[in-house]
Amino acid sequence: MTAHEARSGGRLLRGAHRTLTGLHPVLESVLAAVLGLLVGALLMYIWGYDPWRAYWALFRGAYGGSYEIASSIARGVPLIFTALTFSICVRAGMFNIGAEGQMYVGAAAAVCVAYFKLPPGLHLLVGIAFAAIAGAIWSLGPALLKLTRGVNEVISTIMFNWISRFLVFYLVAYVLVDARQGQRTVQVPVSARFPILVRGTDLSYSVFLAVAFALFVYFLLWHTATGYEVRAAGLNPTAARYGGISINRTILLSFALGGVGAGLAGAATTMGLPPTYAIISGLPELMNLGFDGMAVAMMGRNHPIGILVAALFFGGLNAGGRVMQFYGSNPVPLEMVRVVMGAIVIAMAIPELVRVFPAIARSVRRLGGVFRRDRATEREGA
Amino acid sequence: MRKWLGLALVVALVAAPAMGQALKGKVAVVLDVGGRGDLSFNDMGFKGTDEAARDFGLQMVEVQSATAADYLPNLRNLARTGQYDLIICVGFLLGDALAQAAQEFPQQKFAIIDSVVDAPNVMSIVFRENEMSALVGALGALAAAHYGYPNVGVVLGIEIPVLYHFEAGYRFGIDWGNKRAAEVLGTNPVGLLYTYTGSFSDIALGKAATEAMLAQGAVAVYNVAGPLGIGDLEAITEYHRNKGTEFGPPYYFGVDANQDWMGLGKHGLASGMKRVDVGCYSAVEAVVNGTFTGGIISLGLAEGGVGISKYQDLLDFIEFAVGAGAMKAEDRDQTIANWLANRATIPGWIWEAVDELEAGILAGTIVVPTADTVEEMRAVRAQYTLGAP
Repeated sequence: MTAHEARSGGRLLRGAHRTLTGLHPVLESVLAAVLGLLVGALLMYIWGYDPWRAYWALFRGAYGGSYEIASSIARGVPLIFTALTFSICVRAGMFNIGAEGQMYVGAAAAVCVAYFKLPPGLHLLVGIAFAAIAGAIWSLGPALLKLTRGVNEVISTIMFNWISRFLVFYLVAYVLVDARQGQRTVQVPVSARFPILVRGTDLSYSVFLAVAFALFVYFLLWHTATGYEVRAAGLNPTAARYGGISINRTILLSFALGGVGAGLAGAATTMGLPPTYAIISGLPELMNLGFDGMAVAMMGRNHPIGILVAALFFGGLNAGGRVMQFYGSNPVPLEMVRVVMGAIVIAMAIPELVRVFPAIARSVRRLGGVFRRDRATEREGA
Repeated sequence: MRKWLGLALVVALVAAPAMGQALKGKVAVVLDVGGRGDLSFNDMGFKGTDEAARDFGLQMVEVQSATAADYLPNLRNLARTGQYDLIICVGFLLGDALAQAAQEFPQQKFAIIDSVVDAPNVMSIVFRENEMSALVGALGALAAAHYGYPNVGVVLGIEIPVLYHFEAGYRFGIDWGNKRAAEVLGTNPVGLLYTYTGSFSDIALGKAATEAMLAQGAVAVYNVAGPLGIGDLEAITEYHRNKGTEFGPPYYFGVDANQDWMGLGKHGLASGMKRVDVGCYSAVEAVVNGTFTGGIISLGLAEGGVGISKYQDLLDFIEFAVGAGAMKAEDRDQTIANWLANRATIPGWIWEAVDELEAGILAGTIVVPTADTVEEMRAVRAQYTLGAP
């Protein structure tokens, strides 16, 4: 892409941006959802499924009753945490892709409560603390690399995800493994589990922790001086530094707090999701919760309250998607369900993507600069 | 009047269970995160249920799981509707979720493949994998003796009880083959190379483990890790390519499905087949015939639940692969020709020996050991050390 093309592309996006941001955010999201549903319907129609029946199944399966609503919320709970991880860092001007890996580490730490006995309640709290601390510690790697060596956080968090993934694979297979059930770790004992909130569903008390954490983040970012500093650093680091804000501090804080969130997502899954209450080999119950959280963060406009709503919506899509698979005489197979969900989620994320696009572009340009510089030094060296 | 009422009550009581037996006309099959498209375990579960549904005029639905968090909700969602005569869980990993769902929905009939769930409404279908693995092991040991290779290999997945059945049977079969080879050829016993990779999905692990075994002179590698076997076959194919050989040792032993056709049938000598489709079919059949009961159904050689692959199996699974788009229809004849050429590299007396072992197991004169726990597995390993110190 030439510089001119990039500029005109930027102008086009800015134009679209101006048109769209003129709308009320709620109206914007509704429009995006309608667009996504239409694309999904078109795809289903092309492949010979009945979009009406499928969407009816989706809706019924997501919000058709108390069982369905509880299932949808339960599916959304871990995503609230991982979405907040991403959003806190976006507000601080960074793209933290590391929720996935921090969550694995948090889950592994939470499972460690199986090795000692404590009274119920306290046992649960200790597990939550373990997970939060483990997630925060894991997030410090990329944060310190950024502070001391200027390593771009997009790259370092992605790499830390892989390290975490294989580290937890190892822990699950060799260290935390249940000797009688080699396919999973030891189980979190009953005294350290989140009690089930709605009988016969997956919804546990972990939902309260998620909402509390979201409110805490909201309060911190919008109603404290520290939060103001974090947001100021995100909006314009140069101006913030000139104003006497320590950028190092805001980076460290937002990464650590994000790590706490991701760690809690691991705790909510291993300590709050029936029936296994353990990490299964290959992490099939954790996989992608961190990345899905990024989609939820985009849908929720990187705002804690928006994220709560978006998680309910995303959880509903997943819970309803399960029902689409067997509803009616020509049910939609899982592969198609996921294509439709993808279309809806992308459409819902567009307004926020447009808004943060300049920041993403800046980050990518910086990255490009790094590579160009490397190549230049190579050439000089040769 | 009261007498008539009493009679009516008796009739109602007698009729009620009979009416309860009336079919609702739907069966469901629930898969784990492995999902469809493996041309093996999961696809066979689908195939068996689908065939049964067609034969008995039922509607079948298939529910896949995007993550492990979907297992229990999927079972609950289906059971809640009360519309399903039977819900089949394909795979060991669904066991925990089923244990919970079966308790919550005592009226719902369930079946599970490869796991034992102790509930009156669950039919637990398990296979005697030790029996067909013994046949594969005997074939491997005799082939090694014939070609002068020091070892046979097996690449296993995660160390779970199901896989102990394979390992125990394989060990017994190799030992049996060693004894026969000593009688016929006077050769020394061959050893066993085995690795638990800790994964069913990481193909690179399977390839690396197989390469290590080939380097130590394994005449064949038995895949007991599902999709990982693709890596095993890749390593064997590369080995042949580097040596410039077309057929003959080292061989690939497939698992679960008939995998002999893979790679155009060049190196797949035999498969230890575990007919998940037969298990699913018989579960549906039991519901239709009203003979469904909770408890363990064990399928072995005698029931046609397991076996070593034969010519007809190759033809069946070639059709299966072509139907799934995994094999081109025009490659059919070439694959069959390759397979026959590869099988011809094993002399007839070895095939006869394997048939003899099969007949012995069927007749009950030969009992193949198995293992369900770490301790039992250790005991079998101690009895059949196969070259290990």
